[in-house]
Amino acid sequence: MSDATDFLYPFIEADERDAGSLLTDLAQSARAKQQASADLRRVTLDRSSDAIESAAAALAARLHHGGRLFVFGNGGSSTDAASLAALFIQPPWGQPFPARNLVADSAVLTALGNDVGFDLVFSRQLIAHADQRDVAIGLSTSGNSRNLLHAFSDAAARGLLTIGIAGYSGGEMAASPHVQHCLVVDADSVHRIQETQAAIGFALWSAVQARLSQPRRSNPEADDDEH
Amino acid sequence: MADFGEPLAVTALSLARRFADDATLWCVAPEWPEHARHVAVEFVHPVLVGKRAFPAVSIESSDPATALRSLVRAGDVVLAISPGNSAPTTTVMRRAQAWGVTTLWLGAGPRPAMRAADHIVWIDDGADEVADEIATPAAYDGRLVLLYHVLWELTHVCFEHPGLLEVRSDPSCDDDVCITCSDEGRIGEVLTADSGGRARVRTAVGIETIDTTIVPTVVPGDLVLIHAGAAISEVP
Repeated sequence: MSDATDFLYPFIEADERDAGSLLTDLAQSARAKQQASADLRRVTLDRSSDAIESAAAALAARLHHGGRLFVFGNGGSSTDAASLAALFIQPPWGQPFPARNLVADSAVLTALGNDVGFDLVFSRQLIAHADQRDVAIGLSTSGNSRNLLHAFSDAAARGLLTIGIAGYSGGEMAASPHVQHCLVVDADSVHRIQETQAAIGFALWSAVQARLSQPRRSNPEADDDEH
Repeated sequence: MADFGEPLAVTALSLARRFADDATLWCVAPEWPEHARHVAVEFVHPVLVGKRAFPAVSIESSDPATALRSLVRAGDVVLAISPGNSAPTTTVMRRAQAWGVTTLWLGAGPRPAMRAADHIVWIDDGADEVADEIATPAAYDGRLVLLYHVLWELTHVCFEHPGLLEVRSDPSCDDDVCITCSDEGRIGEVLTADSGGRARVRTAVGIETIDTTIVPTVVPGDLVLIHAGAAISEVP
């Protein structure tokens, strides 16, 4: 791996011609990051297992009573939010549940961003769509995204169940009284945080499935498949 | 845990070399569109302040080949993030040689055919045990995200080694035999239905008119193998 200071001397390698040692370094670096990601995932899921279970129980109860799930985030976290919404609405296995990704509609997003400001792009949608049966899940690596904090505040005021997934030390989301369940990935690399946030989302979804899915044996359609 | 270090290293260097030569990275993920968006935003808006932005675009379509056909230029890179049995991805990958693009395919679950793309990096997540073939937990639990995060990180490391990024020759001439110059079989994508035994086709080096008398009638979008100015067979 390159020394940490190599970026200060970018042209020192200008005459380099043999890619062999670079490829060795790159492969080594990739393995180290793969290991670091796996370690962080394991430690975080172990440490957060009670918190995840408790959030999943509350989420499952809402869904069981007809609630819908609204998921949101910015940038890379918006794509992780989309992934989480996809798991619920179009699950690879198990039972589907109503879930929406609040960054999916560019007309709504740009209308709100342009007219009322980007800080309100999620809260305005929750105000339009959500009620006390529903659930809001926001993902932010810093835990400080203004539009998420606004969304959680308005969601809590409307009686939604609120779940935050944050990084670093949880930022303002961890301290907010409006985030009822804040699941934090205690790390300081945005990439490693996002990977483990996805793992938390998957664990949440799996726990909800375990609580609400019909056992396969008792599913009449599954029995039909065996004929 | 299966190790993706070496294939990802080779893939990153290839991508960095194409970026150094002004390529655009086109990202497609027909089954998991959020992953294409995530890769594009990583490259366009790096999380680390001061890292350079690279042109990466997410194409959201269940039929990305139609959009890419117009968008890509020879020398660009197409990155797919999808299951190995993704039909829309396969449609894109089969056209890569005709379009003159380098192809990367990252995924989890069922693997693509061995030479379906120039670089294939895969996560084996035990998906075979699940009935639905697209039921790949790695696509949802962060492991696929890790794969392209590390691709991004390694690509930037390559740019700390500018001497290794120079493109020494035409990318299609990397093989022992230069297929362009010796006119060995090349793949072309048909642009106009054949008329009078001639058709216009797109190949890695441009648009040309070829003889189609010895192949069955071709229509736009068909792939043909070209040798010495003539289509010698259809590519299924």
